Amino acid sequence: MKPLAKLASISKTLKNEVVTDWINQGKKVVGYVCTYMPEEILLAADILPYRITGKGARDTSLADAYLTRVNCSFARCCLEQGFRGEYDFLEGSVWVNGCDHIRRCYDNWNAKIPRPFMYMLPVPHMFSPEGRQWYKEEVVKFKDAVEAHFNVNITSEKLSEACKIYNETRRLLRKLYDLRASDAPPFTGAEASIILSAGFVMPKTEYNRLLGSLLNEAEKKSKAPQEKVRLLMTGSLMDDSEFVENVEDMGAIVVTDALCFGARYFWDRVAENGDPFEALVDRYYTHVPCPRMAGEYPTRRDFILNQIERAQVKGVILQHIKFCDLHGTDNAMLKMDLEKKGIASIELEREYGPLGDAGRVRTRVQAFLEKIGG
Amino acid sequence: MDDQKRNMIVRLHEIFTMGSDLPDELDMESPDVKDFLDTLSEDRRIAFLTSAKDPDVRKMSVGFNRAFANYWERLCLAKEQGKKTVFIPFNCSPEIFYALDLMPLGVETLNTMGLNVEEGLHEYLDLAIERGLPDTMCSAQRGVVGMLEAGVLDMPDFLVNGALGGCDPNSKIFEYISQKFNIPAIYLDVPFYHDQRALDYYTVEYKKIVTALEEVSGNKLDEDRLREVCELSNEATELFMEIQELKRHVPNPVPNYYNTIHNATKLTMVGTSDAVDIFQKALDVSKERLKKGAHVLPEEKIRFMMMYTGLYFGGNIHLWLEEEMGATYLLDMLVSNDHNPIIDTSTMDTMLGGLAEGMLNLPMTRQLKGAWDMPANWLEDLLYYADTYKADCLVFTGHTACKQAWGIYRLVADEIKKQLGIPTLRLEGDGWDSRITSMAVIKEQISDFFETLQ
Repeated sequence: MKPLAKLASISKTLKNEVVTDWINQGKKVVGYVCTYMPEEILLAADILPYRITGKGARDTSLADAYLTRVNCSFARCCLEQGFRGEYDFLEGSVWVNGCDHIRRCYDNWNAKIPRPFMYMLPVPHMFSPEGRQWYKEEVVKFKDAVEAHFNVNITSEKLSEACKIYNETRRLLRKLYDLRASDAPPFTGAEASIILSAGFVMPKTEYNRLLGSLLNEAEKKSKAPQEKVRLLMTGSLMDDSEFVENVEDMGAIVVTDALCFGARYFWDRVAENGDPFEALVDRYYTHVPCPRMAGEYPTRRDFILNQIERAQVKGVILQHIKFCDLHGTDNAMLKMDLEKKGIASIELEREYGPLGDAGRVRTRVQAFLEKIGG
Repeated sequence: MDDQKRNMIVRLHEIFTMGSDLPDELDMESPDVKDFLDTLSEDRRIAFLTSAKDPDVRKMSVGFNRAFANYWERLCLAKEQGKKTVFIPFNCSPEIFYALDLMPLGVETLNTMGLNVEEGLHEYLDLAIERGLPDTMCSAQRGVVGMLEAGVLDMPDFLVNGALGGCDPNSKIFEYISQKFNIPAIYLDVPFYHDQRALDYYTVEYKKIVTALEEVSGNKLDEDRLREVCELSNEATELFMEIQELKRHVPNPVPNYYNTIHNATKLTMVGTSDAVDIFQKALDVSKERLKKGAHVLPEEKIRFMMMYTGLYFGGNIHLWLEEEMGATYLLDMLVSNDHNPIIDTSTMDTMLGGLAEGMLNLPMTRQLKGAWDMPANWLEDLLYYADTYKADCLVFTGHTACKQAWGIYRLVADEIKKQLGIPTLRLEGDGWDSRITSMAVIKEQISDFFETLQ
């Protein structure tokens, strides 16, 4: 199977073939939801970090009894899949107080469908020396909890090795984004979404091998520049390649993003010189901030402006899942700032997964593309 | 000038001044009273008339109106007097601002008080959205954003927010105001836990806020002035704790209306002598009622509490509950200050530590920042308050923006039922925006619920 097809197959189902192989080897899988959770700690313990999403949820009828209609549909879909037993293969899960919705998803998950290892890793909401110290202490506690529960010893050497593997993933994903930023992107935004999604639900060593092959192939192929409107997508969590495809079908191509399921996930690397634990803490605490980090809007905006420049972006999709106040408000601020700089943008409020309204999105994107000359 | 284009603080000052100029014993037919009623929005006219009916409530509200008239006046004069103004959220205690000679303005308090002057504040709630804010953001602050957009509110000199981790919309709207109107914002991080480590972290963060305020205002914190403010804060605390004690009596001698007074005073004036006077009057009235055996009318049939926020529109919910339902409104979570510490005034350090501890125990920060069943969180506090004040039932108003509360309502309600055998009612609507669920519908639902209890 070609690398892209293999990655697509892996990203399609929750308990995919690679996860099954991992479990069959007698090894554990632990879920996580947020990019402030240092995955390397789990890998150093020979545990597969697996990003929980609501993929595959057909409705949210079970979850809605606990997380209600005013909670975001991503959190509800995650919980729904938990209630339906789709995540029973996880030994446990690690959560972060990322936003009001996801921390309540944890509360309900922990109360109603706990797995043997349930963990909350609280992250400060501001950058400060004290915040960094707090976060470090939390990561130490988390590491200790993993060691105690799984009866493992996470040594500096193992942690260094895990950091190197993850940095290789980051390097390859940067390369993917360099290719996407070129005049002739070899991948559509929808394909990139699939490639990224697979990386969250499989061992990074195997992912790096497949991704390396895929990128080598892509580099060899010559592609003519495309006439499509080049877009950047930012906002709430986005792992839905069909949503991206829906946008691209209107005559656009998403060439970059500022998503926690995209560029914000891998842009910053862990320093490989010095103490690996300190480097890990630094990287996860200070990586391109989520809108949960107060007062950091200018940092996020500048990151987006840099992405716009390097990928020759013509328009920006500012999407947020309904009731996601963090991204919804950030998008409102971005809209104003982009307008000041003469960059076209559109705000799209959407629902996650099965609750999405593809027709409405298409109509609005079509009008937007017409407006900016697509 | 079109009244709606006039400064909101000036209009509030006028209304509260007129209200406070009225005699303690009211003649509803007098021209002064009629003139005053003409200035009020319909909701507030109803509220005033219903509260004026009860002489005890009237006694409480006289001092309250006078103190607020002074408060709005101080805000009106702030710029002229070279005093800087600060917008703060409801989980940010005002003492430190008074100690630094700054004027704090609680965004939610202004939003709520604004309902006195304009029916529903709908124009401002909508304008904020029209100009970019997502419509899922909280109406408790949205009206103020709309007022800034409409130019009926002066820009503050800076913003201080301490809602991080307890409420995303609250913290985010301050960032929005800061960016949109170019106002410097200072943030106070709130830890997830509620233990000594969390308090230590929070105290350091709080002290950094004080330093930042000194820098941006140019005002130096004076230890003697801080002590004076803390002593006044302690006096207020002791008084409202006594009032809380009275609420434990069955029947409860404290009028339902007191909850409104408590909330507004605690959020706005604690650390001033006005707050002490208000709580003293409320205590005197309540003690007298206890002595006389006065309580809700015609009899105390139901003792209930709101699980989180209350309802801030509609005018007469408190009196309706008393007169028509025979229900004691014990408290809502925004009036739950039983864990407010007495500040040790020995040194600058102990005072700042005490203020920080008080802030960490303010409603929402205390209960909604961590996991639902952690110590000092929502469940534990509801169990404590329901048990301590002998509540027969609980009502969740279902304020739309409170996603963090909605997300665990079911867990909490089930556990309260299990542990205390107390039922809860879940409403759906909005605490400030009357268009989401009308007060008539809310009353009907509450009434139906109460019937099931009898």
